[in-house]
Amino acid sequence: MLTITDLTARVEEKEILKGINLTINPGEVHAIMGPNGSGKSTLASILAGRSDYEVTGGSVELFEKDLLELEPDERAAEGLFLAFQYPVEIPGVTNTYFLRSAINAIRKYHGQEDMPPKEFMALVKQKAALMELDPAMLSRSVNEGFSGGEKKRNEIFQMAMLDPKLCVLDETDSGLDIDALKVVANGVNALRGGDRGILVITHYQRLLDYIVPDFVHVLMDGKIVKSGGKELALELEEKGYDFIKEELAAKA
Amino acid sequence: MIATLDPLVADYDQLLPVIAADGLAGFEELRAAAIRRYRESGIPTTRDEEFKYTPLHALTETKYRFGYGANLTREDVSGLLVGDIDAITVVFVNGQFAPDLSSTDSLPNGAYIGSFSDARGFEDEIHANLGTIAHFNNRLGSTNDLRFVDLNSAYLGDGTLIFLEKNVTVERPIHVVHVVSASDVAALSFPRNLIVLGENAEAKVIESYVTHAGNGVTIPVTEIRLAAAARLEHNKVQNESLASTHIANIFVDQAKTSVYTSNNINFGGGVARTDINAYVGGEYCETWLNSANVATGSQIIDNHTRIDHALPNCQSFEVYKSILKDNGVGVFNGKIFVYEDAQKTDAKQTNQAILLSPTATMNTKPQLEIFADDVKCTHGATIGQLRDDALFYLRARGIPLAEAQGLLVYAFAAEVLEKITIDEVREKLEAALFEKLGS
Repeated sequence: MLTITDLTARVEEKEILKGINLTINPGEVHAIMGPNGSGKSTLASILAGRSDYEVTGGSVELFEKDLLELEPDERAAEGLFLAFQYPVEIPGVTNTYFLRSAINAIRKYHGQEDMPPKEFMALVKQKAALMELDPAMLSRSVNEGFSGGEKKRNEIFQMAMLDPKLCVLDETDSGLDIDALKVVANGVNALRGGDRGILVITHYQRLLDYIVPDFVHVLMDGKIVKSGGKELALELEEKGYDFIKEELAAKA
Repeated sequence: MIATLDPLVADYDQLLPVIAADGLAGFEELRAAAIRRYRESGIPTTRDEEFKYTPLHALTETKYRFGYGANLTREDVSGLLVGDIDAITVVFVNGQFAPDLSSTDSLPNGAYIGSFSDARGFEDEIHANLGTIAHFNNRLGSTNDLRFVDLNSAYLGDGTLIFLEKNVTVERPIHVVHVVSASDVAALSFPRNLIVLGENAEAKVIESYVTHAGNGVTIPVTEIRLAAAARLEHNKVQNESLASTHIANIFVDQAKTSVYTSNNINFGGGVARTDINAYVGGEYCETWLNSANVATGSQIIDNHTRIDHALPNCQSFEVYKSILKDNGVGVFNGKIFVYEDAQKTDAKQTNQAILLSPTATMNTKPQLEIFADDVKCTHGATIGQLRDDALFYLRARGIPLAEAQGLLVYAFAAEVLEKITIDEVREKLEAALFEKLGS
């Protein structure tokens, strides 16, 4: 469903991604791990279409469409969802209004009518319960005054509402205590299965105890330097990123 | 002599008897003094500090005349913002009271809501208050420009009186509507409103300015006196046609523990200026000044506010917001004076503007003059575009750029509209805001 080929990108004059290759097939859960500054969040931002980065080469295809040619909203409508590392506060726009606008914008993109209000409210109720969200939060402004944990839960709640085909979770575990982490992981696991692809981007192995990936990739200095199964994450946890650096040095 | 060429007063001597016939007796001196002062100064220019950003050349270039005698039906008026709401309603058309369009029956005891001309038994209240609130005598610092107040007083005829005796609460909203209905020549009018709330009285007022046809030159004055513990929600809605000139002056006089809330909404007008002057002359008062303004095309929306904190332990909160599109111009001047005795004053002023095009302009000038030492006064002004991070967040959820922009702009102003506690009015304004931004 997602094919990244030789992707290079920079911000201002600095080369951040130096040739990324990654394929995600329907139903697979991939994890990208890497130390700070390796380019993890840059990759997430480029996939979602943030304009701060300049793609200098390579390609990204989502369902055989050229993802890089699509606007951020078109990417979302095509089924891509980015759970933000730092969810944005939007005073004056309630969560419910925001979600209804998003769902109906995506339906419109696909030539569908608006979702009937009754159906929408039923969906909200069901997914809010899944994420253990206080219903009062729904009538509050998007993320305004939310705690760190609430913001991340709200991201996964939105993900559940929008039912995307490919989910990208950018450092979703950062700033979460263990209880909040479990709630978030449960929410993600509930969305696992079928053809949905999931890409988990994280610094730490901790989240992967709860969202167990099929594949793990190590990103260092703008390149995927090692790929493997879930056991690679455990190895990284045990030995740290240095052992990979040493491996690379030995090969060179 | 500029004054002799001034079209605002060119026909004054002929018009005076017509206007005076509609009003109460006993204001001859007030009118005479006002016209004398006005004639000494004439129409302000942008060289006058208080009108630096308010070009008024339309007043000398446009043709206009008195529009008494316009005959409108309820249907003509009901579609105009904020329209046919459940309220005690007083309607003026081109400055002339329209009894057929008004409905002021079933008032509680101790309340009068209606025209000056019908206010039998309340003449003393009018005489005691009219013209005695709209002044800057004994005020600290520089005084404001009073020429349009003088001009309004010079033409003083009929007007609206809202008078509540001590302890009277009027639950239903009170809607004072000033409609302009003109043909090829703009209609000139000088609306006058007087709101007097007795001790512990409470009311919610909507003062709206709308256009039925053509354009207007509308120069209103509203005087408000709040006795101890009185509470007033004062919503001013200006949605006149886009070639109209609107120059309003509002004066508030607050006694101890009174609460004044102003929600000042401007969507219309070619040049629309509102001055709100609140004199806080008692302890433990609250003064809330909220405002949402949208200028598109070549509209100029100018707001001047002034709060005089003369006594200790009072709070004022001011939030003025402007959305400026195309060649729209916004102006904000917010004065806060804290007098030497006004210790423990807590005054907070915020002015925010969003510019949606490179040719839109905002001129903002906070002006705090503080003569007491134990006070908390803050002010902040921001002028900017929409936040990129918020736009991206909305788009990342599938909302297209134009819709995401619309949503954020709407939310920016809706925060002010939320302060209006009359649901029907707030909802109509939200719909009007949405429509205005969409066009």
